[in-house]
Amino acid sequence: MAIQYWRIRDRYYRLIGSRCTKCGAESFPPVYRCRKCGSYEIKDAEMPKTGRILTYTILHEPMPGFEAQAPFPLAIVKLANGATVLTQIVDSPEESVKTGAKVRATLRRAKVDGDSGQIVYGYKFIVEP
Amino acid sequence: MARTKAYVASVGFTKVAEHWESSILDLAVEAALKALKGVPKLSPQQLFVGNMFSSAGASQEHMGALVASALGLEGIPAFKVESACSSGASAFNVAYSLVKSGAIDSALVVGVEKMRDLEPEAVSQALAMAESAEYTQFVGATFAALNGLLARHYMERMDVTRDELSALPVIDHANAVAAEHAQFRRAITPEIVARSGMVADPLRLFDCAPVGDGAAAVVLVNDSGASHARKAKMAEVAGGRVSTARFSVYEREDMLDFTATKAAFREAMKQAGLSPQKVDFVEVHDAFSVVGALSLEAMGFSKKGMGSKDAKAGKYGPKSDLPVNTFGGLKARGHPVGATGVYQIAEAYLQLTGQAGGNQVEGAEYGVTQNVGGVDTTAAVHVFRGAE
Amino acid sequence: MHVMKSNLPAAFRGYGAYVPYYRLPTSEIARIWKGGGSGPNVEKAVASMDEDTVTMAIEASRHAVKMAGTDSLGAIFVGTESKPYAVKPTSTIVAQALGQHHTLAADLEFACKAGTEAIQVITGLVGSGMIQNGLAIGMDTAQGRPGDDLEYTAASGGAAFVIGRNDKRAIAKIECSTSFVSDTGDFWRRSHERYPRHLSRFTGEPAYFFHIESSVKTLFAETGHKPADFQYAVFHQPNPRFPVEVATRLGFTMDQIKVGLLNPMIGNTYAGSSPIGLAAVFDEAKPGDKILLASFGSGAGSDAFCIEVLDGITRTRGINPTVKSMIEHGVRIDYSTYSKFRGKFH
Repeated sequence: MAIQYWRIRDRYYRLIGSRCTKCGAESFPPVYRCRKCGSYEIKDAEMPKTGRILTYTILHEPMPGFEAQAPFPLAIVKLANGATVLTQIVDSPEESVKTGAKVRATLRRAKVDGDSGQIVYGYKFIVEP
Repeated sequence: MARTKAYVASVGFTKVAEHWESSILDLAVEAALKALKGVPKLSPQQLFVGNMFSSAGASQEHMGALVASALGLEGIPAFKVESACSSGASAFNVAYSLVKSGAIDSALVVGVEKMRDLEPEAVSQALAMAESAEYTQFVGATFAALNGLLARHYMERMDVTRDELSALPVIDHANAVAAEHAQFRRAITPEIVARSGMVADPLRLFDCAPVGDGAAAVVLVNDSGASHARKAKMAEVAGGRVSTARFSVYEREDMLDFTATKAAFREAMKQAGLSPQKVDFVEVHDAFSVVGALSLEAMGFSKKGMGSKDAKAGKYGPKSDLPVNTFGGLKARGHPVGATGVYQIAEAYLQLTGQAGGNQVEGAEYGVTQNVGGVDTTAAVHVFRGAE
Repeated sequence: MHVMKSNLPAAFRGYGAYVPYYRLPTSEIARIWKGGGSGPNVEKAVASMDEDTVTMAIEASRHAVKMAGTDSLGAIFVGTESKPYAVKPTSTIVAQALGQHHTLAADLEFACKAGTEAIQVITGLVGSGMIQNGLAIGMDTAQGRPGDDLEYTAASGGAAFVIGRNDKRAIAKIECSTSFVSDTGDFWRRSHERYPRHLSRFTGEPAYFFHIESSVKTLFAETGHKPADFQYAVFHQPNPRFPVEVATRLGFTMDQIKVGLLNPMIGNTYAGSSPIGLAAVFDEAKPGDKILLASFGSGAGSDAFCIEVLDGITRTRGINPTVKSMIEHGVRIDYSTYSKFRGKFH
């Protein structure tokens, strides 16, 4: 499990997605082929760390590993460069989590493999107060 | 090899339930034997198993050979076809393509899913594999969560109310009362839906298809293969198409635009030479109430934003011009995920051969089944015609 | 000569603090364990269940690096006593998150003075010319045994500092520092234990006071500095009272220590304690101001620094959230929520 996440740790820690060198479209998660122009000339690019909530949900029935946090908000965030990211919202009062709210990225524990396995860190977002 | 017509010649299925006493293989064999009983002179030339998570649910892969061997059909080509919740209709589509082209003359398609051996959280985890491990599962988004996002987006953008969203689940439950194989056979009201437990706000328990076990099987033949099934009633497969969309719902231009369903429907109808007004019933993939609504919109039966509203206004009830989910759909008949697509096809067959009993749509001549994997990431749409 | 001065002048070029969002009033702890009352501090800062020393260190470091404007760090040292792994460095995760690979990365442990030790080590590496810029972090998610007095104050938070050459962009120069240690077991945690233990009143005179007074008096004696030379003094703050007492004994006034005294609002952030006090002072200090920084780590020892604020501090305003704003931006939780959080990070 740890290796699957290790290989994309930079994407998790620094929100490194991709940019099409032909048309400039940026995506996170990264793509192999540009969604806008179809080019395969794709390079890594660090995403902006701010954006707005496009839509959200509050998850009451989580998967294993996420029970302690439930219920928690998940949102599709449109970043400042147009890329759309699926992410958890943390440290935000319930009423602040709404469509259109401004958010910024932070780094948190994303998955923990029990008491003896490894911790995987990843991006989450906070609503700007 | 000439292209011929293809037919569903026989069907068989188990009840959708928590089958504590039956294994995944038990269920598959039970459904397959029922279907084969309808065509006693026929030995299918290939076997296709539609299933999503036999490995997570039963520690079992290699389903094609497993089921073929259990049926004493060793020797024939046997495959598992997987496309998340559209595995059933996808397996059917592959079989259909081969049978229609004449490459083979008959096929057995079995959709099966064993979900209940897993704890609820583990079922969530297995279902979540329909979505990206590294970017969707990773952030803790279950499949219900993705649909919750879609539902809020739908309600906010299209001004859909809670009661409007509840209309399709209400229709499903009403239809399932007479359906012997349905998992839930009790009618419900919009109040019951609105008061049920929250799953992924705004989706509540009664917006979501249940967890259950089941298997459904159909026998496909073409004109050559039909000679072995002369006595059986048949429903012609008038058209069928599988289409895919951008993998994750959040990377699409418009999340409310079910492009896979739209494309698959258009192509299947074109093959059938059919216009939408002639469709007599639709089996729609309402794994979640919002998906049912958006599917109806994608197929053009409702205008954009009107799927739930039309359902509330009575457009899709059992006595309407276009009955939807005539045996209860995913919400009430149930949704053993990989099997669902084949259940839909079996139900369409029953309608078109006049064997639908208390659920019969009078004079049904054309029916459409729509089966989806992910959030309209794969869509498998088939059009059927009563063979008379 | 016990005071350390680097050959090349070393200076702070960026700083960043981190205070988590949640606050536990000590009245809540007292309500559960004593039926009422409160602790010596009003509230303490509590990390959320998905935070730990790594995540907080990275947040603070990002602020510090942004302010310093450097993209290359020759060394990254994290001082903490709440490493998520007993074996696997926190500093390499910080390095990866900052895109740094050609760097000397290490974790330090010396109870509450591990952060200031990191500052000294980085100062040495910079001052010897071995590296251009380095990152020193003091950060903790401190844990007190449930029901123990330390539970009132054991808190989460800290600060990160980029240290490099003393030039126009530098914000404060590190004039000198000194360290004083002895084998004094006032507070400790055995390898496989979850919570630390301590010797109550013994943590006062023979530990906290003796070591801080020793290091600071050494600094004064060898540099000729007097308390009146300093505009600010920041001491390690295990509770609201000790830093006030040691300040008084050493000849400092409340005015000098009040900006850096954060324990009443956020508790004791252990290796982050005096570092975050320093960050709070940097938020307000003016060019020419002198700061005395004296940490204390159980086990035991004290690091004392003489820091002089430079013109460069004026360009730092508004780049990052201030310590004060981070402290004010918090939400109160109750003891049961705290217990739930606590089970998830350590």
